[in-house]
Amino acid sequence: MEQYHFEGTDKYYLEPELKAVVNIALAMEKPLLLTGEAGTGKTQLALEAARALGLPVEILRCKSTIKGEEACYTQDTVLRLNDARFGSGDTGRHVQNFYDYVVWGPIGRAFRADHKVVLLLDEIDKTESDVQDNLLDILEECQFTIREVNETIKAKVRPAIFITSNAKRELSDPFLRRCFCHHIAFPTPENMRSIVALHYPKTHPKLLETAIAIFYELRERGFEKPPATSELLDWIGALEKTDTMPDPAFPPLTGILLKRSGDILRHRRGDTRRKSY
Amino acid sequence: MSLVSGNKEHTTYNALFVAFMRLLRDYGVPVGLRELLELNRGFEKGVVNDLDSLFIFMRLVFVKRVEHADAFERAFAFYFYDIDIPAVAEGDYALFNTDQFRRWLEKEIREGRLPNRALWDFTPEELMKRFWDTLREQMEEHHGGSRWIGTGGNSPFGHSGNAERGTRVMGGSRNRSALKVIGDRRYIAYSDKNQLREENLRQALETMKHLKNEGPYNRLNLEDTIRNTARNGGEIDLVFERDLRDKISVILLIDNGGYSMTPFVEVTRMLFAKMHERFEDMVTLFFHNTIYEQVWRDFRRTRALPTEQLLLRKPDTRLVVLGDATMAPEELEARGGAIDNYHDFNKPSSIHWLKRLADRFPHACWLNPLPREHWERVHGAYTLKRIRSLFHMEDMTLGGIKGMVEHLSEK
Repeated sequence: MEQYHFEGTDKYYLEPELKAVVNIALAMEKPLLLTGEAGTGKTQLALEAARALGLPVEILRCKSTIKGEEACYTQDTVLRLNDARFGSGDTGRHVQNFYDYVVWGPIGRAFRADHKVVLLLDEIDKTESDVQDNLLDILEECQFTIREVNETIKAKVRPAIFITSNAKRELSDPFLRRCFCHHIAFPTPENMRSIVALHYPKTHPKLLETAIAIFYELRERGFEKPPATSELLDWIGALEKTDTMPDPAFPPLTGILLKRSGDILRHRRGDTRRKSY
Repeated sequence: MSLVSGNKEHTTYNALFVAFMRLLRDYGVPVGLRELLELNRGFEKGVVNDLDSLFIFMRLVFVKRVEHADAFERAFAFYFYDIDIPAVAEGDYALFNTDQFRRWLEKEIREGRLPNRALWDFTPEELMKRFWDTLREQMEEHHGGSRWIGTGGNSPFGHSGNAERGTRVMGGSRNRSALKVIGDRRYIAYSDKNQLREENLRQALETMKHLKNEGPYNRLNLEDTIRNTARNGGEIDLVFERDLRDKISVILLIDNGGYSMTPFVEVTRMLFAKMHERFEDMVTLFFHNTIYEQVWRDFRRTRALPTEQLLLRKPDTRLVVLGDATMAPEELEARGGAIDNYHDFNKPSSIHWLKRLADRFPHACWLNPLPREHWERVHGAYTLKRIRSLFHMEDMTLGGIKGMVEHLSEK
């Protein structure tokens, strides 16, 4: 069997611990559930891993209304009814042929692929818990049944499964038991320097240092939505474009870092107290 | 390390790690047979080749919820490095109640590094700093070299009798060893025992997502569609139906009188403000100390609502009461016990109202900002106990919020 080993990419700084985690999950062929604050690079990790390993990606972007079955396949009943009523013309579809009206979902496509693919279930916590229960066995056995014709679709090659979740405890125990779970902690200032350096290799180091220092100071203040990595990257980009050196007392362009109006107002009031109860 | 299924090796692994798994269970990490099998499967696949990869691999296998991560890391440090880290965060005064601190202090005094009167001569801050410094030194010493540890007694905190739990430690060659990772205590904020605060508010909110209401008309009813289409002589008539989900209404009752609640008011209101987005049919009401014949619609308690009216709501309404439940016994039990209204002896006592609320709403939960450990011996423990006999009570930790949601979700 082919061995897959992920080493990070030019766009993604892979912390050694996380690298070990990803590679263990790849070797064990277990779904890897990544949790953590928004902006810690959970989704990015899966996409970059696929890019580095040269594998195609199938993404299921979860919504609260999604059904487990839908992630595998849907049957376009309306189209079929329409064809039955008005004829399918020269589309090549036959009303008698069930599979002409099947639309494969990301899981269906991943299982039917001839090569290994990366299957990303993004923000699984948005789904209802019974959907997660449905997905349990599908992911574990890498197969699902098409109810209407009672046929089983089994993965030719086990996909590398990445699952992301913003919640920390929403998922059911049986679901968690079938995954390897890793909580991505917020990057330390050291790691943040490496991340920023990958994106802005040419920016003046003094600007970066000041920006990172202000960023971590702002995060400490207990805003409702503290700024995350993507905000910092945007902010540095904006500072570079406008050619400003940020002043720690009055950071410019804070609208990029703080998103909630309550937070922005608090910051304008100069409310620097740290929350502790 | 590629170990193909030689039975002998398996036995060794099982024997070695079953003890560790027992320790994990002692630390509150739920692990079982499934995890043990997975562990062995990983060894066969050869994913472990040193202590650091063992650490990461074991964490993947054993830790399924982030609130267990800190307990796992402490157990790992204890088992493999003989370092006993207390469950509290650095800078937390709860350190003084831990066994680890007591043992450390005894040893420091015994070995003459601290005077007998250390507890009087030093400020708490200084003792705390010394404790954590000793711990850090221990961790520094450990990570890096290959050495034998776990002989019992070479630890600064001297827990003898656990020597059989030790094992050989192979050196950390990576730039980030397991022990250094553990030393960061990155997961302590997510521990179940943590108080609710802004940083983990989102985590609490996620658990509340379980309480949801009815969905939109987005499901195609195939049978009705076909029936109607046939009736229409073949003209397609699509029939949609609603997703069936529970429709949940919530009543929140907040005790906002008295300074004891002040520290919790802000964070609680934030939690509730968020909940407003989730359920449209939610009312927030206020009371002072305990509930009598009326509650209030506003924070400043000017617009009253008779409690009788509250009792008319649907019995499947979820009732959440937030209060410390501690007061003078007569406030709870005597007729006319209300502080605001103490001369009116015709009105029933507060316990009467609480009982009626509890009877009317079986899905009720009392959230108490006092930590659970203090319930038995706090000033006012008597009334707390009585109220607890009526309501399911949880404290305001992440675990408590989870317990509340579980209790409220029971059918």
